[in-house]
Amino acid sequence: MEVMSREAFEAVVSAHHGEIFRYLQRVIGRAGDAEDLSQETFLRAYRAYGSLPGEANVRAWLFSIATNLARNYFRSETRRRRAYGQVRASVREAVASAPEGECLSRQTGAVVEEILQRLPPKQRLAFTQRKIHGLEYAAIGRSLGCSAESARAHVFQALRKIRQALDGHGLLGGPDR
Amino acid sequence: MSGKPAECTEIQDDLLAAALGEATPGARRRVERHLAICPSCRWEFREFRAVDGAVTALREERLPRQRLARARERLEARLTDLRRRLLVYRVFPSPLGPILIARSEAGISLVEYLDPGTSLRASRLGHIPGAELVEGGGELEAAYRELLEYLRGRRRRLEWPLDLRLVRSDFQRAVLQATAAIPYGAVIPYAGLAREVGQAAAVRAVAQALRWNPLPIVIPCHRVIGTSGALTGYAGGKVNLKRRLLSVEGVPTASRAGELGIRPQAMYALYPGEREYCLPTCPSFATQPPAPLTRFASREVAEAAGLAPCTTCRPDLHPISR
Repeated sequence: MEVMSREAFEAVVSAHHGEIFRYLQRVIGRAGDAEDLSQETFLRAYRAYGSLPGEANVRAWLFSIATNLARNYFRSETRRRRAYGQVRASVREAVASAPEGECLSRQTGAVVEEILQRLPPKQRLAFTQRKIHGLEYAAIGRSLGCSAESARAHVFQALRKIRQALDGHGLLGGPDR
Repeated sequence: MSGKPAECTEIQDDLLAAALGEATPGARRRVERHLAICPSCRWEFREFRAVDGAVTALREERLPRQRLARARERLEARLTDLRRRLLVYRVFPSPLGPILIARSEAGISLVEYLDPGTSLRASRLGHIPGAELVEGGGELEAAYRELLEYLRGRRRRLEWPLDLRLVRSDFQRAVLQATAAIPYGAVIPYAGLAREVGQAAAVRAVAQALRWNPLPIVIPCHRVIGTSGALTGYAGGKVNLKRRLLSVEGVPTASRAGELGIRPQAMYALYPGEREYCLPTCPSFATQPPAPLTRFASREVAEAAGLAPCTTCRPDLHPISR
């Protein structure tokens, strides 16, 4: 079996560190924790890199390590509750303080970001991987331990929930007249 | 969803796919047809599109460059530390019993015979201070394949990159370097090796250095034997393995009075410092002070080491018959 050469790992870090950090930052929401997890992602990747088949998709593989770490992070019950409470409050604030008529897409972006953080972990992870990072459903499914179809269902469900959460705040403009 | 017409419910997934820009052409046409006649879904679709647009805009967001650079720096520091400490290992079955092979980024750093049932904790690998151990697969496969070829006599050299981090002293390093230079199919007494490293009196120390050889087989300490020809020790009581390794190379061995040894009379011999190899009975040996002789399994082995047949005893004309 042809495997990755460990010497090439430097290039892997250069190519993907920024994106993995950004991904974790978005799904975790806390800067310090996101940095720790992205560090851990690359340390884990390095440990396993020598056994990775030569034809493997390194980027998708890194995303799946990061996703696993993020899920473990969410599982930590106290942390999850704390984060949830904070985010709820900030969404309410973000939505309430949105001035009417202000540049909608930018405003919506900030609110959407807050709503993303409120989604159940699997939906948040699937949606972020798909919409922000453009990963294939098959890869997203592998990272979440489910099928490509379920990964797609998570993304759809996330989209529905974001729309619901925005509904009634007039952030999408008036109805189609 | 209650109260929604059936066709609106049915088109939901296609509608979402279209809003996300990933619908198949067929689904897109279905959605277009439906939207043309359903204002409520049209409105929903617009909202989904707006959400998708807002999310897509987030793609462009980057983390502050400075923060990223600092995070990268911290990551590099931890990676450098890990790279230094990481040993990837795996235990393989072999004709000599379970063999553990471990490697660092620099090369193979440990080859260890495991007694069946030995836990990792009890192994030598488990006692390396500061090492981070990872059970690996692929990257050790090639080394293992070569090892099997070697043990089956189909390969004479193991061209592995080696990492000598487990070597304990400069003396041991020198002994191992001299050992690595012993040709395939040749044996040398401990005393001969001590001479090679310039410490003729340090025979015991040489034996100790070999006892702790972290890379048996690839650094062929099995080719170092007692002056009498006895195999003496190997890997702490595994003298049988030493015999098997020597047999693979064609070195004749026998058991005499319960002790394993080579058969010196069935091997060609080399006096230290000479460039000509001899029959074991060469008269020139009688005229020189006794010294530890290097012995070769065959003329081919001796000549591959750059030696010429002795012009006195003429091993080329009177080869040893076995």
